[in-house]
Amino acid sequence: MKRRSNDFVLGAVILGAIVLIVGVSMFLRESEIGSKRQRVVARFSDVGQVQVGNAVVIRGVKAGRVEAIELGDDGWVLVRLNLEKSVELPRSPVVLLGASSLFGEWQAMVTERQSVPNNREVAAALTASATGAGTALPGAVLPDVAQLTTVAGGIAGDVASVAQRFQVAFNDSAARELRSSIRSVAQLSAELARTVRVQSKHLDTVSVDVRAGAADLSQAAEAFLRTVSRIDSATSAGEVRTIVSESERAAGQVREASVRLNQITQSLEKTESHLRGVMARADSVLLKVDQGQGTLGLLVNDPRLYQNTDSLLRELRALLADVKKQPKRYFGVKIF
Amino acid sequence: MIELIGRSFREALEGLGSAGRMCLEAGRSARDVRTWAPLATDQMRRLGVGSLPIGVLIAAFTGIVLALLASYSFTNSVPRYLVGTLVQKTVMMELAPVLTGLALAGRVGANIAAELGTMRVTEQVDALETLAYDPIAYLVVPRILAGLLMFPIVVGVAMMVGLGAGWLASMGLLDLSSAQFLKGARLFFDDFDVRYGLVKAASFGVAVTAVGCACGLEARGGAEGVGAAATKAVVTSAVLILVLDAFWAVVWLLGRAV
Repeated sequence: MKRRSNDFVLGAVILGAIVLIVGVSMFLRESEIGSKRQRVVARFSDVGQVQVGNAVVIRGVKAGRVEAIELGDDGWVLVRLNLEKSVELPRSPVVLLGASSLFGEWQAMVTERQSVPNNREVAAALTASATGAGTALPGAVLPDVAQLTTVAGGIAGDVASVAQRFQVAFNDSAARELRSSIRSVAQLSAELARTVRVQSKHLDTVSVDVRAGAADLSQAAEAFLRTVSRIDSATSAGEVRTIVSESERAAGQVREASVRLNQITQSLEKTESHLRGVMARADSVLLKVDQGQGTLGLLVNDPRLYQNTDSLLRELRALLADVKKQPKRYFGVKIF
Repeated sequence: MIELIGRSFREALEGLGSAGRMCLEAGRSARDVRTWAPLATDQMRRLGVGSLPIGVLIAAFTGIVLALLASYSFTNSVPRYLVGTLVQKTVMMELAPVLTGLALAGRVGANIAAELGTMRVTEQVDALETLAYDPIAYLVVPRILAGLLMFPIVVGVAMMVGLGAGWLASMGLLDLSSAQFLKGARLFFDDFDVRYGLVKAASFGVAVTAVGCACGLEARGGAEGVGAAATKAVVTSAVLILVLDAFWAVVWLLGRAV
């Protein structure tokens, strides 16, 4: 009796545990026993991170699960999708595999060919997959976050490399040189501004001068006109002839003055030649003096002679003073 | 100090050796079905069904704590539904098998070691041999078989209870909807999670019962020897559970990850 009780309890526990485990597992897998399903096969060159059990969605609504993934011919991968019987596939359907969140979960999306994101690689993969696919739907893998982050990482690396190179090139000395260049450019621009200001002032002056010149020209023209009018009036009075005769006389006087000037010039040339000779002789004398030749040369170049002369002069002054003081001592006037 | 280390190492090796020898002898004696079959059901009920309450209790509290811990750990950048993922994965693959195994190592291992140790010191085992009973087939095989079959049952129930407790805790304490928790639990669920936990539990069952039997049959010197055998059985079983846990992770999980 006890053994039968043991067997019953044990059997009940084992059966209950198995039912519980299998039931919970099926519940978590969302398995449906006896429901009508349809199966669709899609062909891919690569399935990314998709696994058996991942969701299949149509227009964002879950419509089934990935049932199997297996290698096909010619390097293709065949993915069998288990869809609900009532689901209608879109026209010209394609299957896109992609991440459904940032946490590694993937899904298969059944969509129309026209709704595929505008991506060159995806379009090429779909075209290749559709060629010779038979009843299998063409499929492609959308670029996932990892690929995007890899590309972004590469870009960031390039930027870092450029920044590093810029940092190497733009060191302290480069910064100093750049600052110096900026300062020079500022000075140059200030100089240019100053020059422009000066030149504009000059231009103002020139324009004023030009204006004054134009006024003078205007006045001269008026004077010329007046002269012309006078000439015109003088012509009629016989004054021109007088002027011409006076002009002839003046020209004769100018010619005489020119002859006299010519004579004066010739006389000046002679004087100049004399002067040159005098200068040459004076130069030779000065040369001799400088070389210490002759008395003057000795006087100039020998300090002792100067000192002797000086002392002689001093003695002469003393003698003259003494003669003035005691003339009788030196002079005796005798008449007889 | 060095002597202590050497002695501990030798005793550990002896324990492993005796357990291995016990398993080999149990394998040989398993052919004697008529001896162990009538006893197997009783042992399975005692070791398995009797251990369900403790397994369920541990799993329930583990599921609740895990849900709270996950909610506490996840910041705003992590979706709340991942609480379900964490509870499902952790309970099914690690905590339910290991914690239940450790609890059963204390309950079942100590029980077997004390029972067989008492039989040894009171010469009941010798009496069995005298009566032409194979003590291994009579005492060890039913217990190891009970451990092999019933540990996965207990751990399987613990898995589901732990998951359910985490689910209820998420809804009741964390303001997480049932749909959110289930979405997270289903997100990365794989049949492998259940298989992995149950296979680990079966290996723990064999280890705990084999060590308990080995320690019990080697008990010497009366009540003190029986106590020492029970203590040794619990400690060795607990260490073996952790070692086996790491073994399965390396052999099975690492292989799948690669």
